[in-house]
Amino acid sequence: MYPVFDKVTKPFKKLASAGREQFDQWFLQDTHRFTITGLSRSGKSMLFTSLMTILKHRSEGQYNCLPLLTRLPMELVEHMRLEPIDGYTLFPLEEHLSELDNRRWPQPTEQVYGFKLIVRLKQIARVKQWLLPYTDVVFEFIDYPGEWVTDLPMLNKTYSQWSDSTWAQQASEPQSHFAGGWQQFVREFDFESSPTSEKVQQLLDAYLRYLHEAKQQGISMLQPGSFLLDSDGYDWRKAGFTPLPAKITSDVSHPWNQLFSQHFLQFQSQWLNPLKQSTFKEADKQIILIDLFEGLNHSKQHLYQLKETLSHLAETFVYGNPNWFSRHVLNKSQIGKVAFVATKMDLAPAAQHDNMLSLLKDISAGAVAKFADKPIKFEHFLVSAIQTTDADSEADSLRFLNANREYVEASFEPIPDAIKAMPADEHFPLLNAQVPDDYLPRILNGRGLDRLLQFLLE
Amino acid sequence: MSAERPTPLRSKVSQRTLEQSQPKVDLPVRVERLEWQADGSASRLSLGSIALMSGALCVLGFALFDAMQSIIVNFSAYPVATSLLGALLSVFTLTLSVLTFREWQGFTNISQYTQSRLQEDVLAEMDKAPLLTALRDHARHFSKHSYAAQCFTRFEQSLQDDHSAAEVRKLYKHCVTDAVEKKAQEVLKKESVAAGSMTFISPNHLIQTLVIVWISLRTIRRVSLVFGLRPGRLGNWKLLKVLAQNLAAQSIFDLATDEVTNQISGSLSAKFMENSAEAVAAGALNVRLGKTLIRLLR
Ligand SMILES: Nc1nc2c(ncn2[C@@H]2O[C@H](COP(=O)(O)OP(=O)(O)OP(=O)(O)O)[C@@H](O)[C@H]2O)c(=O)[nH]1
Ligand SMILES: [Mg+2]
Repeated sequence: MYPVFDKVTKPFKKLASAGREQFDQWFLQDTHRFTITGLSRSGKSMLFTSLMTILKHRSEGQYNCLPLLTRLPMELVEHMRLEPIDGYTLFPLEEHLSELDNRRWPQPTEQVYGFKLIVRLKQIARVKQWLLPYTDVVFEFIDYPGEWVTDLPMLNKTYSQWSDSTWAQQASEPQSHFAGGWQQFVREFDFESSPTSEKVQQLLDAYLRYLHEAKQQGISMLQPGSFLLDSDGYDWRKAGFTPLPAKITSDVSHPWNQLFSQHFLQFQSQWLNPLKQSTFKEADKQIILIDLFEGLNHSKQHLYQLKETLSHLAETFVYGNPNWFSRHVLNKSQIGKVAFVATKMDLAPAAQHDNMLSLLKDISAGAVAKFADKPIKFEHFLVSAIQTTDADSEADSLRFLNANREYVEASFEPIPDAIKAMPADEHFPLLNAQVPDDYLPRILNGRGLDRLLQFLLE
Repeated sequence: MSAERPTPLRSKVSQRTLEQSQPKVDLPVRVERLEWQADGSASRLSLGSIALMSGALCVLGFALFDAMQSIIVNFSAYPVATSLLGALLSVFTLTLSVLTFREWQGFTNISQYTQSRLQEDVLAEMDKAPLLTALRDHARHFSKHSYAAQCFTRFEQSLQDDHSAAEVRKLYKHCVTDAVEKKAQEVLKKESVAAGSMTFISPNHLIQTLVIVWISLRTIRRVSLVFGLRPGRLGNWKLLKVLAQNLAAQSIFDLATDEVTNQISGSLSAKFMENSAEAVAAGALNVRLGKTLIRLLR
């Protein structure tokens, strides 16, 4: 069921036996493994698509993009190429670009994709030119559905711990607004009858209705997020589970508790564990994408919830992943790097970017605190993978194409520079900016990617 | 479920449809590789090659002359050889003088003096807008076809509206300051190698001195052209001083090597050794001159 993860270690074993490739690896290649973590719809796939497109036009067309990226000087880039990583489907770059060409945003990701981007740099020093004619900078990227990442914290819990905390979360804002129907269903549900597959199915259906509804409404902490996808990931129809009231989870002999505990264990061992090993495998650089507009669109409570979700996530890759931490940070005595990146920055007027940056710092503060005493360097960035909007004559406004492809001016009141500063009864509706006709120049004009790459390559 | 829906929130964004369609964005500029050459004209090159060839012929001639002389000491009648060598020598001297004069002219043609220098510590404190003004003011002094002017154009093309002052400084350093400096060093290295090889093939002190004056002036002109600037009055004076010092040093070195050569006896191999030692010295002295100039123009 999970061939993706079995194959993960193979490329490395294979390389060890191939002399030439090994030589290249040791002397000519400078490998950077990037993991890009981001909640669902945070802009991961678009960021990859844009990055590929920009780098390609920069090296092949000599377009003056990414000016701050002096680590990969334009005049030294000989060429770049995309290669698959063994065991992963190649990232569908062409598909995404043709979607954009049809003025549609790329489809949500439903499976895992991997790819290697190899940038070949010419050697300039004379002596080195003889010995090592070039250097390859290798980037490894893995793209996956955002729904998976929020499940990782479930690895450190037992079923009843998870169930109780999820139940508690549903009782608090903002989830409580959408959990009513589901909780009503549970109250009326007959847990005294034994858990037949039919009964389990009913419960699962009700829970999924809640998950889908809450996701629609911008809730980021939804577990298990994997259940939201009908991909070839975990077969939740066969071995699913839902949170249950405490009176059941506190009774170890309860048949429903027993069944769901068993399914939960299966979920951890067959799905989450391999998933964690592969996504965070060997990565010494983490990019965490955050869509602040989603929170601003919904409410102050959503922003708080986003902050909490991020701090749970940080736990999984700092504490929860001793492999990553010890191999890359302790052993190599090298500093791990984490970039907190707020995406889609073209959706806020430039004059508000300072506030966006401090809001980003506020929202990631809990995550940052998790590695305060670790040799980890972190920084905050604002990026736009594509500049869909245009500046307006007013500093606090911008212009964009709305859903009807009309050209619209949007004027913003000041965006809060911290969650605290956000009024509870106000919000910033999301601008549903469409893919512009001239999407290519607007991708090449994207902002902040050079800063981000420079930080990660330095 | 819907009973518990939160009350609608007040929107902090207001929208208004515009009576126009979205404007098109241009692709970023394509940067050409900066293929900058100090000189392009062919006539100069051909003069240069005449000088080079006649210089080489001189060496050959003198060497042959020396050899012949030492072999057939008794033959005192060699009027043909002397007149031929004389002719070659005069062609060489003449062309070199013309070249030297041209270098001087070329140098004075670089229009701008460096009066305004960028004070790095002042720039470091500036905000973005005044910083850009200061940089543009400075760049206005670059002469049109200089390498620095090309670099500055690239710098301008790389600027983006969201760059901070610190990033603008970094970008200027990368695109202009560092690039120009690197190019200047490159040019200087080439010129100094030329100085060395010319000295090496110079058969006598007169020619050697002429060659050094010519190459020195050429170095000054070419390096100045990289920066797009000419040193101010004071700078010119400093350069002249270094040039004079270099010539003096070279003559003292000549005397010393001559003495050594005399000790070893005036064979061909001794002459060879003398010339190579002088060539190294000439190259090194030219580097000194160039470094002074770069410091003045930076
Ligand atoms: N204006 C603007 N919108 C963006 C940008 N990047 C992403 N978006 C929007 O955000 C949506 C989600 O982006 P994706 O890249 O598909 O997000 P993802 O993280 O891959 O999502 P999943 O695959 O579902 O986890 C897109 O459909 C766009 O509408 C950007 O740079 N600017
Ligand atoms: Mg995606």
